[in-house]
Amino acid sequence: MELIIQVLVSGLLIGGVYALISVGLNLIFGVVRIINFAHGEVLMLAMYAAFWLNKLFGMDPYVSALLVLPALFLFGVLLQRVIVQPIQEASANMQIFATVALSLILQNLALIFWKGDFRTVQTSYAMSTLEVMNIIISVPRLIAFLVALASILLLYGFLKHTFLGKALRAIVEDNTVARLMGIKVDRLYLLAFGLGAAFTALGGILLIPFSSVYPMVGGPFTLIAFIVVVLGGLGSMSGTFLGGLFIGVVESFGGTYVSPALKEAIYFGIFILVLLVRPQGLFGKGKGTEEIGLK
Amino acid sequence: MSAKRLQLLGGVLFAAIIAIPVFVESRFILHMVTLIFFYIAMTSAWNIPVFGGKMSLGHAAFFGLGGYTGAILYVKFGVSPWIGAAAGVAVSLLGGVVMTLPLLRLRGPFFTLASIAFAEVLRMIAIDWRSLTNGSVGLNIPFKPGWANLTFQSGKPFYFLSLILAVAVVFVAYRLRHSALGFHLRASASNDEAAQALGVDTRRAHFIALLWSSGLTGLIGVFYVFFIYVVEPSTMFSLTLFSLQPALNGIIGGIGTIWGPVIGAIVMTPFGEYLRFYLGTIQQGLNYVVYGVVLILTVNFIPGGIVSLVRPNRSNRSDGSGSSSDTQEAR
Repeated sequence: MELIIQVLVSGLLIGGVYALISVGLNLIFGVVRIINFAHGEVLMLAMYAAFWLNKLFGMDPYVSALLVLPALFLFGVLLQRVIVQPIQEASANMQIFATVALSLILQNLALIFWKGDFRTVQTSYAMSTLEVMNIIISVPRLIAFLVALASILLLYGFLKHTFLGKALRAIVEDNTVARLMGIKVDRLYLLAFGLGAAFTALGGILLIPFSSVYPMVGGPFTLIAFIVVVLGGLGSMSGTFLGGLFIGVVESFGGTYVSPALKEAIYFGIFILVLLVRPQGLFGKGKGTEEIGLK
Repeated sequence: MSAKRLQLLGGVLFAAIIAIPVFVESRFILHMVTLIFFYIAMTSAWNIPVFGGKMSLGHAAFFGLGGYTGAILYVKFGVSPWIGAAAGVAVSLLGGVVMTLPLLRLRGPFFTLASIAFAEVLRMIAIDWRSLTNGSVGLNIPFKPGWANLTFQSGKPFYFLSLILAVAVVFVAYRLRHSALGFHLRASASNDEAAQALGVDTRRAHFIALLWSSGLTGLIGVFYVFFIYVVEPSTMFSLTLFSLQPALNGIIGGIGTIWGPVIGAIVMTPFGEYLRFYLGTIQQGLNYVVYGVVLILTVNFIPGGIVSLVRPNRSNRSDGSGSSSDTQEAR
């Protein structure tokens, strides 16, 4: 029984980070309607940035967020402007090619500049744990969960209550009508991509105290984020959050009771199942989801 | 160019291809041309479902299933590779069914994403199932030359075998494209609802196209394993080598056409090998950066591929109205 709770708790904790990364993808996917296969690479870049700031300047990974998040926000804006915008009107296959190419470029640039080694940040708190009723909780993982939760709530508030947020939601629901209502859709695309990248980067910062970074680290996260977004539904923050927790828990149980090596097989199974049973996601609200293949 | 001159040109070209191994002794050139044939076959097989707008980035799955089946049967059970080839096709067809059936309801990007995941899962299984696959080390094909073992001292037999494969796959692709199935696929690619409304069972069409594609890719996989003497998970199920590469060849040449994949493979294989050997030794990974840049430039400037440059009046318009209007061109 205790083992089950232990596994559940660690699944929920990592699930929070998955949720955060997926919220980033949901913004990009929902608003810009681009299938960003390079999503995990944004995470990879953030992890490397935190690693190098720590290595070279002794900066604490959490403090480095102050530099890394704005930098990756700008990077996201740049990607939207330079890579995505020219192919915004092209077919889905062309967009896939472009973002797969982008992911290939970023992975291999990382390999060239930083080699294929697994790198970890050494901190005083990496190994510290809390014990609550015989359940052992890793402190950096707990921090990761709490910060992820807080930032998702913050984003939720922003989308719900500010004018910009409402405009973004309008684009998710129907971007033609949004444009007709005078919303500057192209400019908000930049914002959405930047914000999405920044949230994903925050996920990377939260991961780095307890996981290593290497050039190909992003791949599985791209897959996870897509599954979570599909699970939660396009444009739904609460759905994404629950989806993230769910994937975290499934992965944790699968890793403990089945085999850690078959993690991806489990994701794949869930992915197919969700797409078959409820393709619009558990909480989906995006109109015209057919157009992006969710049918 | 008139049809007569085109035929003449084709004849001369074909004679030259046959003559190469007779006059050229360089192993390097033979190996390169053989590789080109393999990639022509692979890209053309990959391209079949693209007629219907289904773009897979997981074809390494079928390639690996075929290759592993042939190698395991030969190395572990002493079964002749020729029988192994038939078994390889059967297993990759099965893989095609497993991947395709649940995904028939999806289209576009989600199909692509799921296909990547499918190949990754198979790679994990190939690493994990040590008793059968020998894990990440893989299996070596013992060197016992002879036609029965599909192993040769000289590079020439594989030159002709791969040529036959390439011609056969291109022929199948051509026949499929000009059959009723091909029209159903193209109708579905340009407007799936309209095609269905006209009574076309588009799901069935996609399914058959994917089966052809997966079976042929599996067959190519078996021959490829005997060509390189080794089967191991990171090569056979490699995303970059056998999932992305055919797609890349396809888009450079022109996806959804017959000659696009052929031209793409002819252009990109030497280019890729050059990059791998020269840039790859200077700096690991640099070749893929160049690849990525080429891909992005192609998508932006010649989305119809080289074929669309040759016949610009028939090139596609990426008007964004359909999910895959780019597959509708140069017919």
